[in-house]
Amino acid sequence: MTAILSVNDVDAGYGPSEVLQKVNIYVDEGEIVCLLGSNAAGKSTTLRTILGMVRARAGTISLRGEQIQTLSTQQIVSKGITMVPENRRLFAKMTVRENLEIGANMRRDKAEILTDIDRVFLLFPRLKERVAQKAGSMSGGEQQMLAIGRALMAKPSVLLMDEPSMGLAPILVQQVFETIQQINADGVTVLVVEQNANVALAIADRGYVIQTGRIVMSDTAKAMLANPKLRDAYLGELEG
Amino acid sequence: MTPELRRSVRQGLIGGAVVLYLASVGMLVAFDARAIITNVVNFATVLIVITFAAFGYLAGRPGKGGEPAQPFLLAGAVTGAVAGATVGVVAVLVDFLITGLEWDVRSMWTSVSPTLMELLSFGQSPIVGALLMTLLGFTAGLAAGSLHLATTITRKVILLGLMAFVFGALGAPLFKVMLDGMHIPNRWLFDRDGLTITGAIVLFAAFGLARLGSFRVGGPRQALLKVPGTSEKNLRWVISVLALLGIAVLPWIVNDFVSDVLGFVGLYILLGLGLNIVVGFAGLLDLGYVAFYAVGAYSVAILTARSSYLVGGSVTAPAVAGYTNFWVAVPITILIAVVIGVAIGAPVLRLRGDYLAIVTLGFGEIIRTLVLSDWLKAKFGGPQGLTEVAAVPFFGLNTRDPQILYYLIYAFAGLALFISYRLKTSRVGRAWAAMREDEDIAEGMGVSVIKYKLLAFATGAAVGSLGGAFFAAKLSVANPGSFTLLVSINVLAVVVLGGIGSIPGVVVGSLVLVGLPELLREFGEFRLHIYGAILIAIMILKPEGLIPDKRRALELHQPDHQPEKSVLSAEATEGIQ
Repeated sequence: MTAILSVNDVDAGYGPSEVLQKVNIYVDEGEIVCLLGSNAAGKSTTLRTILGMVRARAGTISLRGEQIQTLSTQQIVSKGITMVPENRRLFAKMTVRENLEIGANMRRDKAEILTDIDRVFLLFPRLKERVAQKAGSMSGGEQQMLAIGRALMAKPSVLLMDEPSMGLAPILVQQVFETIQQINADGVTVLVVEQNANVALAIADRGYVIQTGRIVMSDTAKAMLANPKLRDAYLGELEG
Repeated sequence: MTPELRRSVRQGLIGGAVVLYLASVGMLVAFDARAIITNVVNFATVLIVITFAAFGYLAGRPGKGGEPAQPFLLAGAVTGAVAGATVGVVAVLVDFLITGLEWDVRSMWTSVSPTLMELLSFGQSPIVGALLMTLLGFTAGLAAGSLHLATTITRKVILLGLMAFVFGALGAPLFKVMLDGMHIPNRWLFDRDGLTITGAIVLFAAFGLARLGSFRVGGPRQALLKVPGTSEKNLRWVISVLALLGIAVLPWIVNDFVSDVLGFVGLYILLGLGLNIVVGFAGLLDLGYVAFYAVGAYSVAILTARSSYLVGGSVTAPAVAGYTNFWVAVPITILIAVVIGVAIGAPVLRLRGDYLAIVTLGFGEIIRTLVLSDWLKAKFGGPQGLTEVAAVPFFGLNTRDPQILYYLIYAFAGLALFISYRLKTSRVGRAWAAMREDEDIAEGMGVSVIKYKLLAFATGAAVGSLGGAFFAAKLSVANPGSFTLLVSINVLAVVVLGGIGSIPGVVVGSLVLVGLPELLREFGEFRLHIYGAILIAIMILKPEGLIPDKRRALELHQPDHQPEKSVLSAEATEGIQ
């Protein structure tokens, strides 16, 4: 089976600084894959590079076999990859509905956008209650729901999630990851970046570990969870 | 000296300094000629009293915890008296320099005219004048301080009554013309250039009572809604229809001069709406907006003027007719403006905030320098510009008549208003709002930042050029002197005053900043002083503008409820990676 998304030997960085070095990742259709690593390991940069917000300096990125590393972010989003950004980064002064509508900004199918908004409300009934409220005035958990809902409005086939657990209470983290499973079950492939390895590996099929811009380990999630060396070496103090 | 007393004295000294400033820039003398109540009090005195009262009121303001910081009356009175004494003492000193030492103060301080000295001493000897000035300060401060003892309602009623009476008096020549136009007898209300005593009392009482009445019923809106058969919706219809009717009949109840001023207000509404799209909707600070005004004016001038090179004319030897008429020229003009808007926008796409502002500032000047240059003199006429621009043809009507042109300008302003509203609530408007809030994430969500920025520049340019087109047709000339940096600043001030991003705000901003200074002739000379003062006051008292855009108001007044400083931390991690 060919991977739906594959990152091959990609180098990327900001200005003179190299962040990613020969990164190789693939995600099969229907999988949940997690990318683990500590702060500043290059996790977010990997996602930003896939989405074209940071340019790959070398290597290729392909979606269903088609190379996308030279496309604009807008083109990549319309081909079916969207991101739930780190820290949610909602449009705080816009309402819940407006945030969702922005998520569907490059779509033209008005009627279907409306049904998709309803679908998001079905997934997160809390958002429906707050449809006219400003996004910035909601709780952290609700904001995370909206950030996920906003990303789903683009009808992605691949969803990139940047540290969805950040800043949330443990019970909410659990909920968010259950939601990710549910979205995945509906047919969306998920690549999730996390520091919280236990929670992420619990729902993932496979995992990668990135350290100072290089992939240093990849395995099935089960094997990784069982691997004590991995914890000591790469995820050490983050285990809590 | 207690801290409270020290504060009062300090406020008083500042108040005195403000009056001395007004005196030394010449405002007091200029306003001495302007009556508020004919033969009783003039605007200069009112301005002095207002200053004393304002500082007296501020000094008596309760402390931060809601507790009175000091006895209001004492604080107000002390502040007012100190302010009055400051002015008085300086006046006595200056008088001593002039009469005692025979020093020619006016050679360096030109505003110190005998009129000013007489004004500051109330026509008495300097010492008596200083005492009177102190007494005036004391009284004004005491009265203002006592306002703190009144209930909120009483305070608001008194303030509105006073404002009505001052503005009624300042607008007297205008209102008189309007009442005459409607054949309403007004001798009892207005004297030549001020109010009669009856008029002052009537205005104060009418507005005060109206305010009091509206408090009783919870606002005028609520009162109207109580009338059987009215609902929120048809009330809005009635108000809109009345507003339209008012706009329609306005030119016929005022004179040509006022119609002309209203025409200018209309042009600024057009310009303001255009800039509001760029600055307010898309969040791109453009300090060179005058460029599009100039492009509009010059395009129409070249296409329709008899002095245009297109028809082989020149300023000294105009051709028989222009190349084409206004209505053909306008679409071409808009097209040119859009192309130039995109051309200016494209190189600055990657710039944000301050950098964008500086570069656009440069572009504005480049356009002006180009039309002024000798190099392009054959095309644009150099410093003289292009003359003999054709009037707007409109069913054979004389559109040089300000009363006729008024309708055309407002029709287009209405169109721009409609387009603004539609854009704001559209997909495009949302994309702009998202881009303004967080450009990075908007891009990540698939919003094409480049496309939308260019769209904003192009739309803004189109609307601005329309303003320029009417400007050239109205004045029949286009010359570089009309397109200075000051125009960009004025338009931006209109947008900021009304409330950035707010559409009705642009209309109010234009009326206040463009209409008022023209109508209150005496202000003309001090326009920049007053601009500055108004803008500073707005930034302190109502930073979101007079009619705030809902979303903007939130940005300025509510702290972010987000649990963490998301943008900051995201940038921080980005930097590390």
